[in-house]
Formats: sequence, C-alpha cells, structure tokens
Amino acid sequence: MLNKVLDVHSPVPLLLTVRTKKRYFIPPAVGLKRKRNANPEAHARAAGIVFRQEYFERPINIACTAGIFDPYVPPEGDARLSTLSKEGIKQRTEQIRQSAASQLAIRKIKENDPEFSSKTFAEKAQEIFIEAHNALTNFNKERLHSLVTERCYPELTRGNRYKTIRWRFLESLEPPRVVHARCPDMVSKGNLYGQVTVRMHSKQTLAIYDRFGRLMLGGEDQPKDVLEYLVIERHLVNPYGSWRLHGKIVPSWAPAKDPIIKTVQIPGPELKPWEEFDSQGYQVPKPEAVQWYK
Amino acid sequence: MQVDLFTISVLSSAVEGLLRNHLIQRFISKCFPRSPWMTTPQQLSCFHTSVSLKGRRWDQNNLKVYPPQLPDEPRRPAEIYHSKRQFKYSKDKLWYLAKLVRGLSIDEALAQLEFSDKKGAKVMKEALLEAQEMAVKNHNVEYKSNLYVAESLSGKGKYLKRIRYHGRGMFGIMDRVYCHYFVKLVEGPPPKKTEKTSFDAAKEYVQGLKKRTIIHSL
Repeated sequence: MLNKVLDVHSPVPLLLTVRTKKRYFIPPAVGLKRKRNANPEAHARAAGIVFRQEYFERPINIACTAGIFDPYVPPEGDARLSTLSKEGIKQRTEQIRQSAASQLAIRKIKENDPEFSSKTFAEKAQEIFIEAHNALTNFNKERLHSLVTERCYPELTRGNRYKTIRWRFLESLEPPRVVHARCPDMVSKGNLYGQVTVRMHSKQTLAIYDRFGRLMLGGEDQPKDVLEYLVIERHLVNPYGSWRLHGKIVPSWAPAKDPIIKTVQIPGPELKPWEEFDSQGYQVPKPEAVQWYK
Repeated sequence: MQVDLFTISVLSSAVEGLLRNHLIQRFISKCFPRSPWMTTPQQLSCFHTSVSLKGRRWDQNNLKVYPPQLPDEPRRPAEIYHSKRQFKYSKDKLWYLAKLVRGLSIDEALAQLEFSDKKGAKVMKEALLEAQEMAVKNHNVEYKSNLYVAESLSGKGKYLKRIRYHGRGMFGIMDRVYCHYFVKLVEGPPPKKTEKTSFDAAKEYVQGLKKRTIIHSL
C-alpha cells in the first residue's frame, strides 16, 4: 500500500523486521516482473498531461525554384578568341535577338517588373554577385539570404562553416552581358519566376583556409581570369521579390580547376585476394565533360 | 528479546534527480573562438553561460577556428578530438589501456589494441578509427598515418544502481559501471621520448646541491 503511494519498487515489503541501519535509498531491483503500464496514454491523460496536436507538415519554399529551367548552353571557346580577330567580333556581336524564347521571356518579365532593362541589368547582376561573395567571406547570414536564393545558399555555404574564406574581386575584363532569359511558371499558370543568365569575365582572387589557418586552396596573390555564367532569379508575382543569385552554369569545355594543396587518396580498382595491383598500367579514370550547373 | 521495528523510509529518486539536473552556470573564458558563423547579438557579455548537463566539452574543441596563418609561421598541426560515451566497462580498467596508447603513433596504437585481450580495447579501436576518418574527411589532414595520440583519457559515465543481496537480510548497493573514453589526435610524427641517463640525474643532483645559498643572511 505504501509502495503505491510512494511509487517505489522494492523487492521486499517495506515494513521489514530487520536489525539493520535505516536505509534512505533503495535502488530499483532488476528483473521485477511487474506488468508494464498497459495504457500509457490513459495514464498520462488521467494524470492531467495534455499533448498538443501533432502536425505532420513538411515546409515547402515557394520563394525560389528548385533548379535552372532550359539552361543556357554556352558556345564552345567563348572566351578563347580575342576581340580583335574576325571570329571574335562575330561572337561579340551576337545579340540575344537570336533566341526568340529569350525575347519572349524578357517581354514577360518587363510586363511584371517595369524597371527591368536588359542593358542595365547585367551591371546590377554583377553587383549582386560581388556583394553576395563579400557577405560570404564576412559570414553575414542575413545579407546573404537577401542576395542569394534558398536553392543557392547551401551550395555556397556547405562545408565552409569552420573555414576562413578570403575572396576579392579585382576587375571586370569585359562588360557583363545578358545572354539568356526564361520565364517558367511553377505549379499553377501565372506563378511566374524570371531566370536571367548573365555572362561575365573577370579577375578574382580566392584563398580558403581550413580550421587551423592553413591554406587549402588558391592563394591571396594569385589573380585568376574567370568566365562565369550566373543565373539570377526573381519571383515576379511577388511584389516584395528581388533579383537574387540562383546558380551558376559550368560549361562542359571549362578548363579544370586548380587542385587542392593536399594529396587525396583515390580508391583503386577492386582486386581479388590473389591479384596484385599494377601501378604502371593503371590510369586514373577521368569524369566525362558534361555541362552542369551549380 | 525485543526486536525493534524499523520502517525503511525511502527518498523519492525524483527529488535527487532534480537536484542533480539543476542548471549550473559555468564561466568559460570569452576567448574561446568558435566558428565565425555563430555570432549572436549578446557577444559583448564577458561570461558565457553553458548548459553543462551533457558535459560535451571535449567534442566542442573540434569547433574551434583559428585565424589564417601568415606564410612565414610554422605550420600549425591539426588537432582532432573524439570521444566514445557511456559504454559498459570500468573506468579504472580502461585507464590501463588508455595509458598504453598515450604517445604512440596511430598505426602502433591500433596494432596494440587489436591484439589486446581486454574488452575495452575493441571500443577504443573503434574510437581511434572513427577519429582517423574524421581527421581525413573534415579536418584537412593529408595522410591518415601521420597522426599520433597526444591525449587519451578515461572518464566515469552515469552508473546504474542495483541491489546486491547479502546474508541475513542485509543488502548493498551495487553499481553497474559505465565509462567514457576521450582521445586527441595530433598531426605529425609522435614526439620522441628522451631517456634520462643515470649520469644526467647525478649531474642534476650535484648542481642542485651547488646552487644552495643562505637566505636572509648579512
């Protein structure tokens, strides 16, 4: 009876005639076969505990799309030819008028956003790009969220939490140009998102240091010429939407990046126990050149 | 013959638990540079109050970020902290294994633990392998063999209490022991242990005798 009042499990009845010292604590015994709480819910309800209703929800983000629709395929050898040669001039004078779909998309965007102009937009896009990367180096999360869409944010910041990044934009080698535009509508008709691709050729320096301050990649005094295709997106129907960086397109003919400073182990071929590894005849498999977008 | 009747009063274990779980405010030094992404608006206060319930200080050392090094500074060796918590072994018995592994390179340590007959050796080996993998993957360590065990400790985990029955109605409280294992791997070759010869010890003794002076003298 006292057992139930004090909720104590003891192997022997509490009132025991023993000539021992008075014990203040008896630990629970192992192997006590008592019936488990048959209905824990009823027990909790009787005790007066109220549980909030459980919602099985999954949040969906509608401020940005999940990818790049109809991505721009940059022509081969885009930045190789100099402006002075004939082929170079031909490339430079390519107007976006060649693509009808882009023109349609731009018209749609201008309907919804009257301030849009394909001539000034490229400069704005470059500014957004520079500010976003500066916010990344300073770890300014709020600023970064306003400059970069939710899809692009994890791509920019993954793995960088315990690293120091030093990035500098030196100069722009060519004026940025709008090369591609698309206006997909998601889920329901009329829910328009504008995606504009901007091509920019610039000089940048990048140095990434790991947790202990050791250089992992690049160098602060090594400027690199970078040709990039940025995708800027905006939710047109949303009056509070703004143009934000959505991703990058990396063409299949892009030159390989510089390797990181440390040596990395590549897994070798699968061998049976009696086989030996032939280091001379083995070639490291190279991934095929595919355009991908980050 | 009089037999005294005693009622065994029991203190509810819930009250004891409450006292133990009381939030203890600890003062960690403010110069503990964490990841730069974790700035909060209350950065200016001198003291950092932590919930020390779980006591996961050892693993938090892995989140420490150092500023970039200048090119003329010597390369800072990478430090990786790892722990295995609350496994069924005695901390005193684990101490012997932890002392064995202290100061060895990681390959030697793994070899010794693989061929040790003790139960704790298996858990320790898992911990070391995990730490090695973490080092290569997350902490920018180049060669996985270029690590050595700088610190290796055993700690007490949360015990379960049970009854051990004695004769004549007597009983004792038995502890079911659990323990933690902590290890710190540092990049680089293991430090060489300089053996002190008896001649050096004698020389030091004589020098100690020679440098004695009389204090507070004229």
